[in-house]
Amino acid sequence: MSIQVQNVSKMFGSFQALNNVSIDIESGELIALLGPSGSGKTTLLRILAGLEGLDEGAILFDGHNITNVSPKERKIGFVFQHYALFRHMTVFDNVAYGLKVRPRKERPSKEEIAKKVNDLLALVKLENLADRYPSQLSGGQRQRVALARALAVEPKVLLLDEPFGALDAKVRKELRRWLRKLHNEFHVTSIFVTHDQEEALDVANRIIVMNNGKIEQVGTPEEVYEQPNSPFVYDFLGNVNLFKGRLHNGKLTHGQFEINVPTHLDSHDDAIGYVRPHDIHIEKENSNNDTVAATIVHIHLLGPIVQIELKREDIDEYLEAEVTKEHYRELGIKKGDVVYIRPKQLKVFVPEDFSI
Amino acid sequence: MELTLKKRKRNTIIPGFSLTLGYTMLYLSIIVLLPLSMIFFNTFSMSWSEFFETISHPRAVASYRLTLSTALAAGLMNVVFGTIIAWVLVRYQFPGKRIVDGLVDLPFALPTAVAGIALATLYAPNGWIGQFFDFKIAYTPLGIIIALTFIGLPFVVRTVQPVLQNLGIEIEEASASLGANRLQTFFKVIFPELIPAVITGFSLAFARALGEYGSVVFIAGNMPMETEITPLIIMTKLEQYDYAGATAIATVMLVASFIFLLIINIIQWYTNRKFNQF
Repeated sequence: MSIQVQNVSKMFGSFQALNNVSIDIESGELIALLGPSGSGKTTLLRILAGLEGLDEGAILFDGHNITNVSPKERKIGFVFQHYALFRHMTVFDNVAYGLKVRPRKERPSKEEIAKKVNDLLALVKLENLADRYPSQLSGGQRQRVALARALAVEPKVLLLDEPFGALDAKVRKELRRWLRKLHNEFHVTSIFVTHDQEEALDVANRIIVMNNGKIEQVGTPEEVYEQPNSPFVYDFLGNVNLFKGRLHNGKLTHGQFEINVPTHLDSHDDAIGYVRPHDIHIEKENSNNDTVAATIVHIHLLGPIVQIELKREDIDEYLEAEVTKEHYRELGIKKGDVVYIRPKQLKVFVPEDFSI
Repeated sequence: MELTLKKRKRNTIIPGFSLTLGYTMLYLSIIVLLPLSMIFFNTFSMSWSEFFETISHPRAVASYRLTLSTALAAGLMNVVFGTIIAWVLVRYQFPGKRIVDGLVDLPFALPTAVAGIALATLYAPNGWIGQFFDFKIAYTPLGIIIALTFIGLPFVVRTVQPVLQNLGIEIEEASASLGANRLQTFFKVIFPELIPAVITGFSLAFARALGEYGSVVFIAGNMPMETEITPLIIMTKLEQYDYAGATAIATVMLVASFIFLLIINIIQWYTNRKFNQF
């Protein structure tokens, strides 16, 4: 089912949770709503589910305006961060709930319900735990029950509110992969809220980055990661080094750095260059004039990637660089060494680019 | 031997087990068990035949039936209306909410005799409320139920209220998103969560009603075989200096109350089980 969000605004008291938000979502997409807390992502999801009203704007499902339709008639599946399972019901009864509460005419027979529930429990690999109560399950198992419960009503849209937020790192990763697989099999339009950029990049087909009740950027994971359209997105998606400096004649000056910026030929006193840690080039010998000397302050070995904290010699600023383990071995550097660095790629934002 | 004893002691992290258990036992013995055992002790002055004759006297049997049935009815009334009051107090904001909240506790604070007199005046055939009904309310079992409902009101409200407060709105939202209507959400999702608290409230209100004397005697009319409650029979016997007879009846009350509370506790334990497993 396709979804259109048209100019939606929502206030909580004097707090503007959503400010004129519009999105088009096509049928079968897997969307991540990404943003820091307070960015309005959960509010938007709850408005889509009908759990929250909106002040202005409209929500369209398949072209039909459903702004004033109650949640029970929207044909959505909603998964809560803290599972919201019914504690007094077994796993089986939890999953069967959505089918059992249907009006008698539409309700499947007992056998059909049992078959459907068992199929879903097999899908979430919990068929052996059908008679357990939620309190006897682990967090990951509970969330899988919640997913099965949401899927039982054959929703046209699956909405997930930080579904993996309360789980530990390993289970989270497993469930992430599992959600992707599930989406590939069912093709139900799915939207999940997360504040974890890695999760969004990993799972979603398309990411909607939100901040302060507005949409910052919409795009595929590559687009938002490689071509952020604002400093906020740059900052939010992954680590970044800032080069605050003067822009003049297509060159950004920052300490001893003079970096060519062909995209900006005008002059600015307070331009900011953004460089990802893996876009910082490190060499042991000063081969070129465009490098700056820096001391290695700390080295983190994180599996295949090595994080290096550097202190620049020209100005008292710290930088973060990332190299592969191989490259790190080739360089043969250690803590306290002086190396020469240079940004390989840099994106400059001047105040006009992002002030509104 | 000493080694194993020491080991055992160290097994628990929470300190003071023997101290607190000892204190609990001593306290319960002095405050509860000793006075209660005096009832049995006093009863021993009777022979078995005297005892059975006293407790199976038709007047006594009628009073057991009345006391039990009215206490049960009042308990159930309080379950329904206590839950509604707790619901209103937790879920809605309205002017004067604090005052209503305070009113709930009033039946606890009021001397029961005052409540009895007030209720009797209201529900008497020519009273403010009684005059609107074709049938008698005061001086019938119906009046007794009203008095017992009054004094038992706070129990269900006060036990259900905190549970309702802690019940997340999320499970209701989950229920709605799965297509349930409000009635289904209440009866299938919310009410089952409240059952343990409701049973606790019911058992407290029921137990209180079993022993209630002050408020009932004024509204009951106290006609033997019809509106005479067991506590009144005990009082009457005491006034006639028939201590043994009074304690014999009291023994029946005591054993019956204990059995009822035990049954309720077992039900309680059973319903609680699924919530407490981990």
